[in-house]
Amino acid sequence: MKNQYEPIQTEIVKIEELSPINKLFTLRIKNEQTQNAFKFRHGQFFILSVPGFGEAPFGFCSSPTIKETFQVSVDKRGSLTTKLFEFKVGADIGIRGPYGNGFDRKKIKNRNLVLVAGGCGLSPLRTIIQDANLHPENFQNIQIFYGCRNSELLAFKKDYTDWSKNIEINLTVDTPDKKWKNNVGVVTNLLTLEKIKSDSVAILVGPPIMYKFVIQKLVELGLSDEDIYVSLERRMHCGIGICQHCALVGGKYVCTDGPLFSYAEIKDTPEGI
Amino acid sequence: MNDKQLRGFVSYLIKNKHTVFSHTDEEGKIKIKKIDTGKDFTLCPKRPLYSFKKFFLPPCQKMMVLSDDETTLNRNPNEKIVLLGLHFYDLKAFTLINQVYRKDPHFQKKLRNAIVIGQSPIPAELEDYQKFEKEVLEHLKFDIFLEAKSHGKQESFRIFTGSEDGQRLLDDFGYRDYENIEYVGPVPKKGLGPINSMLIEKIKKSCGSKIWKELGEKCTDCGKCTIVCPTCFCFKIKDEIKKDEILRSREWDSCFYEEFSEISGGHKFLDTTEKRIYNYYDHKFVRIPEEYGMPGCISCGRCTEVCPAGIDIRAVIKRIIKEN
Repeated sequence: MKNQYEPIQTEIVKIEELSPINKLFTLRIKNEQTQNAFKFRHGQFFILSVPGFGEAPFGFCSSPTIKETFQVSVDKRGSLTTKLFEFKVGADIGIRGPYGNGFDRKKIKNRNLVLVAGGCGLSPLRTIIQDANLHPENFQNIQIFYGCRNSELLAFKKDYTDWSKNIEINLTVDTPDKKWKNNVGVVTNLLTLEKIKSDSVAILVGPPIMYKFVIQKLVELGLSDEDIYVSLERRMHCGIGICQHCALVGGKYVCTDGPLFSYAEIKDTPEGI
Repeated sequence: MNDKQLRGFVSYLIKNKHTVFSHTDEEGKIKIKKIDTGKDFTLCPKRPLYSFKKFFLPPCQKMMVLSDDETTLNRNPNEKIVLLGLHFYDLKAFTLINQVYRKDPHFQKKLRNAIVIGQSPIPAELEDYQKFEKEVLEHLKFDIFLEAKSHGKQESFRIFTGSEDGQRLLDDFGYRDYENIEYVGPVPKKGLGPINSMLIEKIKKSCGSKIWKELGEKCTDCGKCTIVCPTCFCFKIKDEIKKDEILRSREWDSCFYEEFSEISGGHKFLDTTEKRIYNYYDHKFVRIPEEYGMPGCISCGRCTEVCPAGIDIRAVIKRIIKEN
C-alpha cells in the first residue's frame, strides 16, 4: 500500500535571499518519473519535510505551468525554517503533496482579478501572477493590492518591474522609510470605488485581521460573497483530512476542502476567519 | 459453541503462534492483557477502561527512519495477534477507525495481522435475528463474533464469522457450526437514523450558547477523555534525532491541548477551553456523522468515568437536545 507519509525526495537547485528573513528556494523532484507526474494547481500547497525538525505546510509560489522545478518562499520563523535556512544548493529535502482542493481557473476566466495580499501572503498568489505574466492570453485584467509592515519586508521586489508590464501593482506599507514614495497605511484603504470593478473576483491571502476589513470593504464595493476567496492558515500534521488539527467547526478541513474558500462557503463557520 | 469449546479454541490459537489479548478481571477491574492459556480470560459484560484502540493506533508509532531511506513499514515483524472480547460498541468504534484509516498503510498493516473477535448479547430491541444481522452485524468489522445468550454468566455462544480469516481459523480448529456474515460497509441502509441526524442540527444550533461557556469553566483541559475514547484518533507527527538515526513518529494528540491549533507566530485558533470543548463535541456529533455516516460517539461512557470535573457526556447531550 502506498505510504502517504513518505516524502518525495527533492533537490534544492537554487536559493535566493529576498529579504533579511526570507529566502526563495527552487526545488526539483529527483526521480524523473515522479517529477513528470507531479502537477499542482493554483491554490494548492505541499508539506515540506526537514528530517529531525518535522514537517510544515507551504504554498507553492511559482507558476504551475513551469515544469521540472517549483518554488517556495520561506520566512525564517521557527526551528524547521531556521534549519532550512542553513541548507545549501544541492541539498536534499522531502516534500509531500500537492494537497488542497486548488483553485479552478475557469472561475477567473473572463473576469477581472483582484489579488489582495498582506505580509508573506503574496507568496501563494505568485502562482497566479507568474502564470498570468507568462500567459497573458489566458487572463483578463489583474490588480495586485499588497500591504506590508515596511518596504524592506516586501516580497518578490525584483519581480515587480516584470509583472507591471501586464499587471497593475498597488503597494502600501505601515511604516515608511525616507525613500518610500508609495502609499502608507492599511491595504484596505487602497480598495476604492474608482479602482475596483464590482464584477471582479478577489483572492485574499494574509492575516485574519486583514480578511475581516478587506472582506467588509469588498462587499461594500459590490463584490458577491461567492466571488471573494480567502486562504485560511491552520496547523496541519497529515495534510489528508485525518489528524483534525486544521478542522473548521461544522465540518470542513482546511487541508482537503481548502485552503482557499469562498467567503460564501465559510462566512457562517464560527471562528472561520 | 459452549464455554469449554471456546476456551479450547483460544488455547488452539495460542498454540498456533497467535498472541492473544483479552479482558482479564483483576479485583473487579477489567484490563486488556496478553493471555497464556484459554483459561485466563473473562467475557463479562463490563468493559475495560482502556479500549483496544492502542493495538491499531499505538500511542506512539514509528512511521519511518528518515536517515535510512526505508520506512519502518517493511521492517516490522509480522506478529499475528488476536484481540478477543471486544464489546459491541467497541466493535463500532473499531469499524469507524477502520473507515477513517482505510488508506493508512500503518493501520492497515496492523489490521492485516490481527484477528478481531467480538462478543455481545443481542440488544433487546433487536432480538429478531434477521434484523440483527441486517442492521448491525453486516455493518461491523470483525473476524469472529460471539453472540452471548445472556448478560450474566455466559454458557454458550452463537458464532458468526465476518472474514475468511475467521472461517479458516474455526475450520482448522474443527468447529463448523457458524454462520458467515458479509461485511457490506459501515453505514446501514437507514443511514444515521433520526436521533443522530437530529443531534447534528442541535449541536450546530447550540454553538455559542451558554452551555459551552459553562462547560468551558468546568473542564480542566486534561485530555483524559480523548485518551480513553475509542473513537478519538487525532494525532501529531514529530521527529526525533536519536544517536544514529532520525525517527518520524505519529503520536496521539488531544484537541484539549493549547498547542493543538497553534500556528507559526503563536496564534491559536482554539484559544479557550470553551472553544476546545465545543470542537470536541463538533467532531463527535457533527463532523464524523457528516463525513462517515456513522455516529462519532459509541455511548461507552469512558469519558464520563475519567473526567475529573464530572462532565457527563450523556447529561450534556440531553441538555443540548432540550435547550435547542
